[in-house]
Amino acid sequence: MGDGVSDPSATITPLGAGRFLLSRDGRQRIAYATQAAGATWIFLDGEVSVIGTASSSRARDTAAGEQASLAAPMPATVVAIAVQPGQKVAAGDVLIRLEAMKMELPVRSPRDATVVAVKCREGELVQPGVPLLELDEA
Amino acid sequence: MFTRILVANRGEIAVRILRTCRVMGIETVAVYSDADARAPHVTLADQAVRIGGAAPADSYLSQTAILAAARATGAQAVHPGYGFLSENDAFAAACARAGLTFIGPSPDAMAKLGSKTAARRLAEAAGVPVVPGAVPANQSDPALIDAATRVGFPVLLKPSEGGGGIGMKAVHAASDLPAAIAQARREAEAAFGDGTLYVERLVTKPRHVEFQVLGDSRGTVVHLFERECSIQRRHQKVLEETPSTAVTPGLRARMGAAAVALAAAAGYSNAGTVEFLVEGRGDSASFYFLEMNARLQVEHPITEAVTGVDLVRAQIEVAAGGPVPWTQEQLTQRGHAIEVRVCAEDPRQGFLPQAGVLALYREPAMPGVRVDSGVTEGGEVSVHYDSLLAKLVAWGETREAARRRAREALAHYPILGIRTNVPLLMRLLAHHRFVAGDLDTHFLDTEAASLVPPDAPPTADASAVAARVRRGGSDATTAADVAWDPWTSLGGRGV
Repeated sequence: MGDGVSDPSATITPLGAGRFLLSRDGRQRIAYATQAAGATWIFLDGEVSVIGTASSSRARDTAAGEQASLAAPMPATVVAIAVQPGQKVAAGDVLIRLEAMKMELPVRSPRDATVVAVKCREGELVQPGVPLLELDEA
Repeated sequence: MFTRILVANRGEIAVRILRTCRVMGIETVAVYSDADARAPHVTLADQAVRIGGAAPADSYLSQTAILAAARATGAQAVHPGYGFLSENDAFAAACARAGLTFIGPSPDAMAKLGSKTAARRLAEAAGVPVVPGAVPANQSDPALIDAATRVGFPVLLKPSEGGGGIGMKAVHAASDLPAAIAQARREAEAAFGDGTLYVERLVTKPRHVEFQVLGDSRGTVVHLFERECSIQRRHQKVLEETPSTAVTPGLRARMGAAAVALAAAAGYSNAGTVEFLVEGRGDSASFYFLEMNARLQVEHPITEAVTGVDLVRAQIEVAAGGPVPWTQEQLTQRGHAIEVRVCAEDPRQGFLPQAGVLALYREPAMPGVRVDSGVTEGGEVSVHYDSLLAKLVAWGETREAARRRAREALAHYPILGIRTNVPLLMRLLAHHRFVAGDLDTHFLDTEAASLVPPDAPPTADASAVAARVRRGGSDATTAADVAWDPWTSLGGRGV
């Protein structure tokens, strides 16, 4: 349970269009808020809070080292595939190079493993969450 | 003067150029890809022409499509902005063949400066100091390793063609060279179609200080003082300011004269930027020519803020055959300006670029602050283009006044729905080393721990607002009205 819930000293007045007047201990501030992608986004004094991102919590709960398949973190183009099925790889090896928004994004092996399958091809635009490559079970 | 200009770009720079055209009474033509059909640059122009698919190669990099759009709309000139085709001398030449004025330097000057090796030779011939380095004629791994050893470690590997930090690799030991060469070569080939590499000595604790120049077709060149761009990440600038805290009047005079000499030696017309590395500060500092960017720079508004000129207007005037609109003596620096680049990226995820819908986007408006942007609330940030959403420029009578204005403006610049670097910029502007003006190009890496703190739970205030949002309705409430709230136990406060 968050502190705000048990704290009666904050008063929040909706001002419309995503603006909220936050009043606490006689001090007023404007917060901005919206709901997007299943979460509540808050902007207050230059800081952003995203509350209720179940997916990011889940990602944190999954130890990276246990993953059997690797996916793109965002929509991206496959620039190069550095491995083949059957190949042994070490933790940290770059397996696939993606590019998105003019940035190169290396997909690294989370652990020592053997590549079971490559599920993308060079030049392909891939979506987040879709497996690019499978490793043997940890 | 032109009566109709086509702007061959997108995003904030296309918007910025369109605005000056409109002020000058020049009709405007925008071009757009399928991803940008309702983008601000499209709706601001008098006419807009679809030039192809979302991928840059199918649209903003398609010379054929852009020239066809210019022909179809009767445009007399093309402004390329920055990036895309702006430093492509073949495109500038193709514009000339098509009877269009390219608003930029001549293809010949671009070719001379676009190649780092040719630019370096030009600088040496003009008496401008350069960093020790070489481009081996033989580009084999052994020859590159040999060249690096002669230059002396640490070295920087750079694509001979290109810029923007793409493909640049710092190498501290010979054993790391083979892997770095392979990666730099591949990135250079992918980005610029040429894998030729340049090896130069890495100056330690350098500052990146550049000079804005403007030349005309009569051979007149003036400079518009410096921009300090040391706050960079992987050679991508994050914050720029002018004047530089490292530059004294004596150093400014020497560097300005060097920048003008180089541009004159290249026969340069239109706006350009001469980049230098500065070692030390004040009159005893050394400076070395890095490269010349043959285009309008992203960070040009800080120069406009302290000199009071419109650089795009000047570009258009000299492209139309007019003289540089000011003498060197007329140009002065007044006050201080700071620009921060607002980018769709998540510093906590290794600065991973973010694509998606801008669910809430409100720009600040206050004295001394200018926001150049190419996005609107409800618009989508596409995966196809770079992550720059907007530039916030704050001017003040002093550096401290500008810094405080920049922070106050960012504190009222909500962007929600995708992660941005606004919280990082807030911390950067408050950092004690930034406040003191103690900068070098490694600043962001050195200070990463305090600039990108670990994920923390939402504050009580943020949780209370979130609870109120989900409850709906329009009445005032106290946070205590909200009973047990499962949401506040999930997620976290992000950057």
